[in-house]
Amino acid sequence: MNPTSKITAFSEKAEKEIREILTRYPDKRSALLPVLNLAQAEFGHISEDVMVIVANRLDLTPPKVYEVLTFYTLLNEKPVGKYLIQLCRTLSCALAGSENILGHFQQKLGIGIGKTTADGLFTLRTVECLASCGTAPAVQINGAFYENLTREKVDRILDDLKRGAEPVPKAMGEN
Amino acid sequence: MKYELVLHKNLKTPGYTGSLTDYERLGGYQAIRKVFKEFTPAQLTDLVKRSNLRGRGGAGFPTGMKWDFLPKDPAITRYLCCNADESEPGTFKDRELIERDPHQMIEGMILAAYAIGAKVGYIYIRGEFVYGARVLERALAEAYHAGYLGKNIFGGRTGIDLYLHIGAGAYICGEETALLESIEGKRGLPRTKPPFPATHGLYGKPTVINNVETLSNLPHIVNRGAEWFASIGSPPKSPGTRIFSVSGHVNRPGNYEVPMGITLRALIDEHAGGVRGNKKIKAIIPGGASAAFLTEGSLDVKLDFEAIAQVGSMLGSGGVTVMDEDTCMVWAALNLMEFFAHETCGKCSPCREGSSWLVQIMRRIEHGHGKMEDLDQLVRICGGIAGKTICAFGDAEVAPILSTLKHWRSEYEYHIKGKKCMVGNRGVKLVAIGGH
Amino acid sequence: MSDTVQVKTDTVKLTIDGREVAVPRGTLVIEAARKLDIDIPFFCYHQKLQSDGNCRMCLVSIEKMPKLQVSCSVPASEGMVVHTGTPVVTDARKGVLDFLLANHPLDCPICDEGGRCPLQDYSQKYTGYGQFQEEKRVYEKEYFSPLIEKEMNRCIQCMRCVRYCDEVIDSQALSSVNRGFQTEIGHYADKPLDCEFCGGCVQICPVGALLNRLPLYEYRPWMLTRTETTCAYCADGCSLRLESRPQTREVIEVTSFWGNETKSVWGQGRNEGDLCAKGYFGYQFVNSPNRLTKPLIRKEGRRDSPLVEASWEEAIERVAEGFGRIKTGHGGSAFGALASARCTNESLYAFQKFVRLVLGSPNIDSSVRYGMVNAARAMTELTGLPRWLPSYEEITQADLIFVIGTDITQTNPIAGLKVKAAAKRGAKLIVATPLRRRVSTLSNIVNRATRHLAHRPGAERAVAIGLVRAVMEQGSLAKEVASHPSVLRLRDTVLAITPKQIESAAGVAYDQIESAAGEWVEAPRAVMIFGESILRSLDGYETIRILGDLALLTGKLIAEGSGSAPLFEENNELGAYEMGVVPDGLPCLGRTNNESDRDRLSQAWKEPIPSGPGLTMIEMLRAVRGGKIKALYLMGENPVGSLPASAGAAEALDAAEFVVCQDLFLTESGRKADVVLPAASFAEQNGTFTNQEGHVQAVRKAIEPIHGTRPDWEILSQIALEMGYPLEYQDGAEISHEIGRLWSACRPAGPGWRDLPKRSEQTGAEDRYLDEGLAEGISERYRLDPAAKSAAAGNGRFHLVIGPVLFHSGKMSLQAAGLMKLMGEPFLYIAPEDAERLGAAEGDRVRLRSDRGQVEIAVKIDAKYPPGMVFFPESFNEPPVKDLLTIEMSPASQVPVFKTAEVMIERIS
Ligand SMILES: Cc1cc2nc3c(=O)[nH]c(=O)nc-3n(C[C@H](O)[C@H](O)[C@H](O)COP(=O)(O)O)c2cc1C
Ligand code: SF4
Ligand code: FES
Repeated sequence: MNPTSKITAFSEKAEKEIREILTRYPDKRSALLPVLNLAQAEFGHISEDVMVIVANRLDLTPPKVYEVLTFYTLLNEKPVGKYLIQLCRTLSCALAGSENILGHFQQKLGIGIGKTTADGLFTLRTVECLASCGTAPAVQINGAFYENLTREKVDRILDDLKRGAEPVPKAMGEN
Repeated sequence: MKYELVLHKNLKTPGYTGSLTDYERLGGYQAIRKVFKEFTPAQLTDLVKRSNLRGRGGAGFPTGMKWDFLPKDPAITRYLCCNADESEPGTFKDRELIERDPHQMIEGMILAAYAIGAKVGYIYIRGEFVYGARVLERALAEAYHAGYLGKNIFGGRTGIDLYLHIGAGAYICGEETALLESIEGKRGLPRTKPPFPATHGLYGKPTVINNVETLSNLPHIVNRGAEWFASIGSPPKSPGTRIFSVSGHVNRPGNYEVPMGITLRALIDEHAGGVRGNKKIKAIIPGGASAAFLTEGSLDVKLDFEAIAQVGSMLGSGGVTVMDEDTCMVWAALNLMEFFAHETCGKCSPCREGSSWLVQIMRRIEHGHGKMEDLDQLVRICGGIAGKTICAFGDAEVAPILSTLKHWRSEYEYHIKGKKCMVGNRGVKLVAIGGH
Repeated sequence: MSDTVQVKTDTVKLTIDGREVAVPRGTLVIEAARKLDIDIPFFCYHQKLQSDGNCRMCLVSIEKMPKLQVSCSVPASEGMVVHTGTPVVTDARKGVLDFLLANHPLDCPICDEGGRCPLQDYSQKYTGYGQFQEEKRVYEKEYFSPLIEKEMNRCIQCMRCVRYCDEVIDSQALSSVNRGFQTEIGHYADKPLDCEFCGGCVQICPVGALLNRLPLYEYRPWMLTRTETTCAYCADGCSLRLESRPQTREVIEVTSFWGNETKSVWGQGRNEGDLCAKGYFGYQFVNSPNRLTKPLIRKEGRRDSPLVEASWEEAIERVAEGFGRIKTGHGGSAFGALASARCTNESLYAFQKFVRLVLGSPNIDSSVRYGMVNAARAMTELTGLPRWLPSYEEITQADLIFVIGTDITQTNPIAGLKVKAAAKRGAKLIVATPLRRRVSTLSNIVNRATRHLAHRPGAERAVAIGLVRAVMEQGSLAKEVASHPSVLRLRDTVLAITPKQIESAAGVAYDQIESAAGEWVEAPRAVMIFGESILRSLDGYETIRILGDLALLTGKLIAEGSGSAPLFEENNELGAYEMGVVPDGLPCLGRTNNESDRDRLSQAWKEPIPSGPGLTMIEMLRAVRGGKIKALYLMGENPVGSLPASAGAAEALDAAEFVVCQDLFLTESGRKADVVLPAASFAEQNGTFTNQEGHVQAVRKAIEPIHGTRPDWEILSQIALEMGYPLEYQDGAEISHEIGRLWSACRPAGPGWRDLPKRSEQTGAEDRYLDEGLAEGISERYRLDPAAKSAAAGNGRFHLVIGPVLFHSGKMSLQAAGLMKLMGEPFLYIAPEDAERLGAAEGDRVRLRSDRGQVEIAVKIDAKYPPGMVFFPESFNEPPVKDLLTIEMSPASQVPVFKTAEVMIERIS
């Protein structure tokens, strides 16, 4: 997407989905979170333009969109890398050595926490408990969990992604 | 100890995929048929009341009683919400129930909706459960297709629509009123109670919020009777099985469905394979990060609501985290305090300001910049939070610090005086505060 | 918590700190405690807002409840036992303060809130200083808006600002950004705040986190003198407080009243403490450097010589001499006099008395002529009074509100708040307007409508006729009127109009009109509100009559809880009308053509009054040009600036022999005058304004008149004295007394000047209207204008409408620096579809052409305006969009109508 071009509307496909979403709730505002999730899927992140089209679509003011957007950690106001690496830092993963895994990610990618690689491929974040404590340490990359991480496994995952593999969401312990 | 699996029965059956066909083959969706033939909503509520089922989401509130709080006037619209936001550190049982046996939960929701007279139910699933959401979406489509859901079910007696509402990353949305706000398209801020959801819930209407595991129990209670359920586990107050998510320093971390009332020791040794490297246990969190730490002295406590409460902790979400002798308790408490400070919604002053204050002090202590007065200060701050906040988050966030201070105060003092960690492999790096 | 205060018939008794108190069911514990004068500290609670219970400051212990409870959220219940002062409670308060102070900077010495800050007060009372010794949270300082300063480090996250903006104003412009410890107040993205600028967030913020930038760092609150007075902008009639520095004669800022924070002996005002941008940020015209501070006279006495400063003595002498000369030479009828309805009742009263007795002229008019007289006349015929029967409270409590012919949240924002409050309560809201639904941070009443009759611009009358027809056809007439012969006649007339004809004239589907009529009939308490689009239209008088007919036919004209409410623009239009500053009216609602009214007045004044009716504004200007009127006296009125060029006001002033202009500023008219007299503003005198509902409200002197200026009534006295006529007053109060006495003398039967009409007193009027009024002119009134102005955009043709906007009011607001920061220049508002068709982007310049000329202006794209319609804020004379308009006279009321024009628009490339 050309970063300078202004986004003024949802795609027809997204628009169709929004119409369907709206049928689920007795009021329009309830569709905000689903529509923001959808908007993020469509535009990558929720820029100012996107806030405005979401607001207009749901008869809200942009501030009411913004306050919801900034509350939830999975919604991005700023662009992120093609692969968003969200490594769990909470206790069970920490007990299983997530600090070492974090160090390994940082070293391999050459970036700090919260940063994106220069090629725009990876953004590294630490997150709170991913409900993968029994398969710790765990990371979520674009919706797919990777669990029971070891340094070798991290290497494999990164290599695959660099080769263009799509992260596939799977059941607990299967990735 | 021999016992029968209930909630895990299907998913532990080899080859079970969680599809509608598989679920039906193993007896699924019989409960709603039975209910349709034999029960009025009031009778179903009564059945659940008699079963003594208690909520599996954290608070352990009796489910039937919760349903009974709703106003009786059938003309008032009411809602059902399934709490599938599972975000309590150390807990991953709902995720497995969702991913592997979605119809069990859906059937439970249909039963609950029928009992409370809800025509619409929402499944609030945490945004990270991308796979789980797909599974549920497929399962819902199957259930609609099979006529278990829709505007015209129970032979035209009612209509029940279930929708998936996907969160976007906020632990607090597991708190039931924050969950409602989130569905309403607002920030997930807990509401001041009263009024309670039973009278003023979603869109101001009477609402029941139940946890995934709680709901998953319902088909079994219907199929096998309240008496059966009330007799298993640790009757009379903690009947039934419980899925414990065991993690940390054990050989076989994972979800284990066991009858309530087995001991922590049995859970850890017999099911989770004991502690890794044959080390000694130092600390156990028995019910998710919100529950107070217990020492190995509590290993023989029964895992039921009352017994755990008696030793000063709670069964909470069933997330059991085991820490071995090499774990630094200051470090562990700080880890969880950072979790809470990150997840506080910020609505009420004690929690918003207190959580980060606690983190700052804990970081100083962990990094060797602590002062002895800090320990009293920690207790004082925790006292200012507990019991004074809008929701139970406030009580939860002080549990790690208060309980570790209670049991391992010397470890804190060692950190302060020695400017280093007491346990071997974790030498304190004297880094600048905030260097995490 | 107006929302939960439903029917509170029963009371509950509870005990607080050992004392029993009975309160209505639903009362919150914190409010019950207040009844006992027990002060429970709080931050986030506010009686205008829903309880949020977030600050936790108001914790109390309630017996039988396990934990401490927030008294701002728990309703009192029977037998409840509350303790507010136990050690546990005091400890909890200390704890909460400790948390709030943890990250609060101790910059009180330079905080504008210092001295009126509950955080300071409670800290002093409960703790001393905080225990926090870690690093404080520091928010990045950012620019928030031109008028509102944000100092987030001081924020205690009570969310009162956001809640007020959402719940009360419905602007939804503030957001609570981020989560947890990082929560802050913002707009969206990095955008500076764009909203209604009501200032409510600043006022409701308990600490110094949101501040008025205009007086920032200028004062310590306790050094200011507070004067409770009435706003001088619109007829909503808000009470406000001028915070001033009397020593330097400066108004520093404005605040208002919110019961739980300020105990005002005067109450919270009709506005219940709420204000709009004009009230809160618009006060600086008082201390504007452009204020006239010296009289001006023509150097050599001749019009072509320059205006130069003069002493008051010299100027008064000039005026007396000029007026005297003309009176002797040509008699009283050679004078024309125009006043502004912004002046106080006292000055207006003195003015008309001066004109009628000293000058001896019947030719007096005022800015009510721009439209208000249409409503005054029609309402008087219908109900016997120009005052409203419904009150703001009845609007808020109504079951249905029908809004037509007004963009109410722009023109009368506080009346708009009442409508919004009703809608929030669940009242039905029918809005008839060509404006479209469009949610933005400027509220738009259409967004809250439960039914929107999107009629064609200018087709209000057709809608009204349609409603009357539907009511007739549905047969849902009130029993008392159903078989009255006039009603039957009306029935025949309207049923002869076909639904098709109505549809094509109104541009609204007839079934929509039918449904609206059905809802109107069914609602037990129904209020109709209409405004300037009707008042200032050619058939305004007729339309208001038709709307009145609708109310009458359905039994809602004078019924308790229902009625008609015409919105007025300027603060004292009703006052000006009631003071008789119209050629056909006399003070105290007398009519010039009514013999007994005239007699009673001359008896009271002990002098004959000139025979009338006199000339109206436009007639006067024409008479000056024709040589019949030789002298003009303008008090605050500026015909040259207010009327389109084609009205010929400039030529008239040029042609007049002698023109005196008395004003705050040197206006377009003033520049043409022979003598210009600097007047004092509302902040500098005592008196009264009468708001549109009919409340006569106090105007109080906050500062002495700016050096060199004098109140209008005082100037009038001095001219009279100089002319040898003893029209002498010591102060405004003396005139108020005279008005009160005169009112009782002239209207011995009805309510007094300061009394509000009672419905029971109006029944006679209704009967009279049924017998005499209704049938009169039915066929004229119920004629559909076949040439209803079409707004079809085609070939670059547009329907141009000018009108008032939220941030301005007349010309006065152009002198308020704060408001100029909000809207310093005008734009042409245009629908996005039209902008696209013209190829114009936001801010692009377009050329507007009518057969009267052309102007260039930049556009602002706003989807609220329907395609084919463009809107221009009328306060601005530059560019001279007004001069594109034709001016037509309403035959019924001589109102000069200049609101619309057909224009061609093209983009300037
Ligand atoms: C901070 C907080 C987080 C919570 N998170 C969850 C959660 O993730 N899942 C859950 O089922 N209940 C959670 N709860 C408990 C719910 O508020 C609620 O008690 C529960 O969903 C009720 O269902 P149950 O009666 O079936 O247990 C949480 C409570 C608090 C205070
Ligand atoms: S800015 Fe003021 S009113 Fe708004 S949340 Fe902060 S302290 Fe409260
Ligand atoms: S005033 Fe009650 S919690 Fe803030």
